[in-house]
Amino acid sequence: MKVLELKNVNKIYNGSEVHVHAVNSVSLEFKEAEFAAIVGPSGSGKTTLLNLIGGLDMPTSGEIIIDGTDLSELKSSQLIDFRMRNIGFVFQAYNLIPVLTARENVEFIMSLQKWSKKDRDERTFELLKAVGLADRANSRPSKLSGGQQQRVAVARALASRPKFVLADEPTANLDSKSATTLLEIMEKLNHEEKITFIFSTHDPRVVKMAHRVITLEDGSVVSDEIRE
Amino acid sequence: MIFKTAWKNVWRNRVRSLVVITSVTVGIFAGVFAVAFMNGMIAQRFDAAIDEEISHIQITGKDYILNNDPGIFMTPGDGIVNFVTSIPGVNKIVVRKIITGMAGTATKSAGVQIIGIDPGREKEIFKLYKAVIPGTGDYFEKESKYDLALIGQDLAKELNIIRFAIDSVVLLRLAEKEVPPEIIGKLKLLAGKRFPNEKKFTSLVTSVLSKRELQNYGQMIKQEAWSFRENSRITLTLLDRDNNQVSSVFRVGGIYDIKNTMYEQSQVFIRNEVLSRLTGINESSFHQIIIRINDIGESEKITNVIREKFPELDVKNWKELQPDLAMMTDYVHQIYGFFMAIILAALAFGIINTMLMVVLERTKELGMLTAIGMNKKKVFSMIMLESVFLSLTGGITGMLAGWLAIILTAKKGINFSQYAEGMEAFGYSAHIFPQISASFFVMVVILIIITGIASSVYPALKALKLDPAEAIRTE
Repeated sequence: MKVLELKNVNKIYNGSEVHVHAVNSVSLEFKEAEFAAIVGPSGSGKTTLLNLIGGLDMPTSGEIIIDGTDLSELKSSQLIDFRMRNIGFVFQAYNLIPVLTARENVEFIMSLQKWSKKDRDERTFELLKAVGLADRANSRPSKLSGGQQQRVAVARALASRPKFVLADEPTANLDSKSATTLLEIMEKLNHEEKITFIFSTHDPRVVKMAHRVITLEDGSVVSDEIRE
Repeated sequence: MIFKTAWKNVWRNRVRSLVVITSVTVGIFAGVFAVAFMNGMIAQRFDAAIDEEISHIQITGKDYILNNDPGIFMTPGDGIVNFVTSIPGVNKIVVRKIITGMAGTATKSAGVQIIGIDPGREKEIFKLYKAVIPGTGDYFEKESKYDLALIGQDLAKELNIIRFAIDSVVLLRLAEKEVPPEIIGKLKLLAGKRFPNEKKFTSLVTSVLSKRELQNYGQMIKQEAWSFRENSRITLTLLDRDNNQVSSVFRVGGIYDIKNTMYEQSQVFIRNEVLSRLTGINESSFHQIIIRINDIGESEKITNVIREKFPELDVKNWKELQPDLAMMTDYVHQIYGFFMAIILAALAFGIINTMLMVVLERTKELGMLTAIGMNKKKVFSMIMLESVFLSLTGGITGMLAGWLAIILTAKKGINFSQYAEGMEAFGYSAHIFPQISASFFVMVVILIIITGIASSVYPALKALKLDPAEAIRTE
């Protein structure tokens, strides 16, 4: 089943002197439960493409359709709500709320969606267990290692059962062991929860584990390899 | 969750939050205590005016007060007293004779109003009997073969009935009150001297003591040196009902002190029958009816009922008799609210500055929150709640500190005796008992919440303008 479709998407940044074509005529489709990596050198447009897919930025032209909805047709407030219900985010620098515990960070998005306390507790416990941090549920981010924080971020991204998760360089700040653990957890959750994961990455370990690798150069897709 | 997150965010930078909370605490404490102080002053003035001076409603013959004509009096046959007594809500009434005259001693004289009263009936309405200075006599309690007059402390000073003297007894009492020996030594220079008035006494004491010594012990010395010339006599001169001048000698039966210079200087009380004898006005006739009602809120209504029935009389309620006091009591809550609003407005700038720093420091986090789906309303609410929590924490602490200070000072009061002369000239006691109502605290809480919300608007709008994609990239 198709969860995301990009049709001839372009993003041009108009500076005072230079115009940057950050994303150039990109057309892609993502199906349910894909585990895809977007790779390419620095400045190739990976993060811009992820921001466009996540509705954090708007394309100069083209369409981005998520589960039948064209993002460009949504008003700003509708877009925020749409992101909350359909997209999970994992950031390079984890970006957890430092004053909340791991449990509260995971719960946060469900609370915004007004889930019942019982459902929130069940889902939080389930996810923290899945990422191997059930025993650290009441720890604040400052008491967790980088790898543990990123695992909490993954649990938070999955909390409200989004259509897909966008992860921008999720292993960039992690050591080898933590990165491998995180990737294994994400692959397991991708399989169990049937949620599509889309990464932007430089990390060969991520590329190795990805089921699909999309390569960008100068904002254009130069290869789209699907592995079995 | 937004509440919880906002509360936890307040304590993210403890030092900074504590600085803001402390400033709000100090501001609110100062405001609450200052208001309690003002309120105590006004309440004391109000109680004194109603209980000792004017009561709720007064009736006199048309223009009697203006013309001072002893012939403008009322009699029981007019039916006024019976009518007033029958009005629902009227609690007590008392009648008085009032004649303008002069009070004099061998050396001094002063213009006064001589008021003929029935002391027993007066006690049912006025508390003046409680204001008689101990040792100076009483409120017409003891029988005397002489005609007695109750006079105010300031009139007594003016007529040199109150004198000042430093003798061995005074020095001993000052030593007992732990006045330093060097001051007592200086005062010994004045021992044995009598001062006919306060001014001369003050001037001589000032010449022997330093400014600091006067500040610390001046009032105590004045109080101890105060002495009343027993069996003092005064002559009251007045016009009788036929406008003939008559005089009579009175013994000072007591001196009252109600902390109101003007009243004390001008109001002399004698028995009704004595004034009847001097003026030739029948004992049962009177110039003024004073009314005490059950509910002060009904004073205007009852005044109008009497006016309609007796349009030829001057009927005035307490608000018309003391319009300054009426204005103060009518607008006191607005004045207090305005006062607190000014304090909070000043504090708001500190809160705005802090909240702007909060938004600047948390750009990345706020961007992340918007990215994961926290809508603008919720981001705004979170910033607003943080600001309200900051203000409210400081505000509640300040109110508690203020309340504690009020409790501690309300029993014994705060004595500004060094300013007594000036304050009493306006009818205010220099011994103030701070007091405040619970409704004031409710108003302050509402004002603090409004301040918190208002202070958050600009920083929150800044937060809303953040572009999530850009904010997340911020280092």
